[in-house]
Amino acid sequence: MNHELLSGILKTVTKPGRYTGGEFGEIQKDKSDVRVRFAFCFPDTYEIGMSNLGVRILYEALNRVPTVWCERVYAPWMDMDEKMREYGIPLTAHESGDPIAAFDIVAFTLQYELCYTTALHMLKIAGIPLFSRDRTDEHPIILGGGPCAYNPEPVADFFDLFSIGEGEEALPELCALYERMKADGSYTREAFLREASHIEGFYVPSLYEVTYKADGTIERYTPRYPDVPARVRKRIVGNLDEAPYPEKLVMPFIETVHDRIVLEVNRGCIRGCRFCQAGMVYRPIREKSPEKLCQLAKCLYENTGYEEISLISLSISDYSEIRKLTDALLTWTDDAHVSLSLPSLRIDSFSEELMQKVSSVRTGGITFAPEAGTQRLRDVINKNVTEEDLLRAVGIAFKNGKNNVKLYFMNGLPTETMEDVEGIAELASHVITQFYRTPERNKMRPVSVTVSVSCFVPKPFTPFQWEAQDPIEVLKEKQEHLRSILAERKKIRYNWHDAEVSHVEAVLARGDRRLCAALALAVEEDMMFDAWDEGFSYERWCSVFERAGIDPAFYANRAFGLDEWLPWDVIDIGVSKSFLLREHERAYAEKTTPACSEHCSGCGANQLGGKTRWCK
Amino acid sequence: MVQMILSDTAAPNAVVRLRFFKRGSLAYIAHLDLVRTVTKVLVRAGIPVRYSEGFNPHPKIAFATAMSIGLESDCEFLDVRMAKTVDVEALRLAFNQNLTPEMQAVEAYLPETKFTDIAYSSYRITLVTQGADEALAAKCRDALAERPLTVFKRSKSGDKDTDISASVKACAVRYENGAIVIDATLTADNAGFLNPEYLVTHLKARCGVLSGDPMKERYTLLRTGLYRADMTPFR
Repeated sequence: MNHELLSGILKTVTKPGRYTGGEFGEIQKDKSDVRVRFAFCFPDTYEIGMSNLGVRILYEALNRVPTVWCERVYAPWMDMDEKMREYGIPLTAHESGDPIAAFDIVAFTLQYELCYTTALHMLKIAGIPLFSRDRTDEHPIILGGGPCAYNPEPVADFFDLFSIGEGEEALPELCALYERMKADGSYTREAFLREASHIEGFYVPSLYEVTYKADGTIERYTPRYPDVPARVRKRIVGNLDEAPYPEKLVMPFIETVHDRIVLEVNRGCIRGCRFCQAGMVYRPIREKSPEKLCQLAKCLYENTGYEEISLISLSISDYSEIRKLTDALLTWTDDAHVSLSLPSLRIDSFSEELMQKVSSVRTGGITFAPEAGTQRLRDVINKNVTEEDLLRAVGIAFKNGKNNVKLYFMNGLPTETMEDVEGIAELASHVITQFYRTPERNKMRPVSVTVSVSCFVPKPFTPFQWEAQDPIEVLKEKQEHLRSILAERKKIRYNWHDAEVSHVEAVLARGDRRLCAALALAVEEDMMFDAWDEGFSYERWCSVFERAGIDPAFYANRAFGLDEWLPWDVIDIGVSKSFLLREHERAYAEKTTPACSEHCSGCGANQLGGKTRWCK
Repeated sequence: MVQMILSDTAAPNAVVRLRFFKRGSLAYIAHLDLVRTVTKVLVRAGIPVRYSEGFNPHPKIAFATAMSIGLESDCEFLDVRMAKTVDVEALRLAFNQNLTPEMQAVEAYLPETKFTDIAYSSYRITLVTQGADEALAAKCRDALAERPLTVFKRSKSGDKDTDISASVKACAVRYENGAIVIDATLTADNAGFLNPEYLVTHLKARCGVLSGDPMKERYTLLRTGLYRADMTPFR
């Protein structure tokens, strides 16, 4: 962004450092060498977008191609957005300051459903027509990707195509196709999208006809041409050690949400919690070698100067080389004043040894996620942790001087009863008791347990994808019941998620193409930043649903038929539907399924190939 | 090869002072963000900085002044305490290589003064405003010469009208290249630091500058120098 020209405006908005660019490590290219201008948009604020690992990886993967220039774009916060519209300033890319409307490909990473309005708003302020059908050969190709692209249907009319799965290899291939078709003169939007549909991992929604039954459910998806695949299989990178990974980073001047080195140790999760989408869509499980990770850590430390390294994974303690890795890192990190942090520690693998190694655990609070209050319900969701595991883990924490424990739960899980809700309070009370039973506890400060309860949102490609979400009133009743019990227990703090937000999230998560009409209305009315309290308005969502003729309960609160054609059935994530059905059945039988490391449950992800850790 | 510049060597535990400028987009960075940025630059540059002892070690660095958002500067100072012997010129080059062109150290040396010696700061305030001409410059000159010079000041002890005239050591206003240019020297010691932004605020209220289209109008605040009580340049 041209800060000299805009200084009159930048001085009037909050955190102007979000918009100025010019960071150390940003990639500049000579435009005359570049054939594909690629705008990578993160539909949320700079501070959140800069923290995203996927953006960092794909920025690296794309910019490795000499003829492709990938630039970053973030959503301007509301005050800046207002000024930009008032003075007709278009949305620009960080590196060049050029308006993104003139780019070749404009990509959005869709990390959560509640960012849809922000993404579409960004198209609007960029001056790019919202609907794919209204764009011409002169407009950029609009690409979607990220976790929400596994069910892209609610935004299918706005995007030209979606990248399904991992993009490190797929996105450069797409750019190569674009470059070739532009060079040989064969490029038209139509021809390009048709060709792109032949690359594995690209879904072009306009190439499918969708028909519906009288009851509103989907009848079928029909490819419009014989060469268009009936289902689009997700892409994975086979070998994580060889996949592109940044060795230096764009260094934000202002503080971002995760302002540190992030090392991805593996992809996928061996556990198979039945509500968890990430646990299914990132299969099969692939690991990076400790040698590669150590080399990356050293390199990133030297190139960034960050003094914190976060090892990330869906479940870090399940990384098979965790001890070897942490030992190797600790040989130099302490001397260099570098601290290690491990988010996503599982209750059953939490140990005194890990606690002492990891500074994020040494300082600050400690968080565990039992997810449900009773063993019965934890078996239903396949959490595979017991109360005994939890009490052992908090016992270690208390013994090592902790007084604050945070516990994550969910309300509204399938089969949940009030007894399960009360179980949350019981479990939290037992944690308090455990504190007093720990002789080595820190007696200087009082114990406190924070109970944080979110609302279950059924997600595509999980064993619970067919489940109805509890209606808002039921969720609120459960929240109120728990609140009344916990009100009497002074040492327990209780907070809960907004049921209305989770309801809208469920509608968008399991929506089909007909939701595009509601989203178009939302964009017209400048709805955005729905993941923020400042942005979300349930009344406005109700209003746009109503005017678009959408019954939100049809998507959120209806149990989808097990034989129903689901909006996301056009996507193939490798994990088979029969496995999800089997897991669904086992949930109702209250039967757990062992982790991949113990026993292969034949989920089907191994058919995607790659250098996997546990697959048969 | 003959070494062209005879550079100082800093011994372990010695302090090296860097004088640097910070321009352009760096004007929009808050002081704490600058501190975080510099901490990382020192690590990237491999500069052997002393860390404090204790549970939460932090690098021993200090800035001469805390810069407010919106301010550019040609004259900032950073003190860094060394853990090992270093060549200060090599240190400066390494520092610069790990920063963007908008922020670079122009000299590095072993300091003989303390930051508490700083008494004044000079600024170049440039107002690109509608109606800028000699007459408006004169009007601005008069407005800044008012005694008392009352501005609405926000502070911890409450927001109130305050006479800032005692903090204005010198002030020259002229019309130049379509802009009103003000060279002001303001107090910058710990007790009486005055943000030059207040002069702009005062001119907005008194002379109606910068009241039009923010796409056409703008202003810049540039620190041009820091001085000791006797008005010799601080170094």
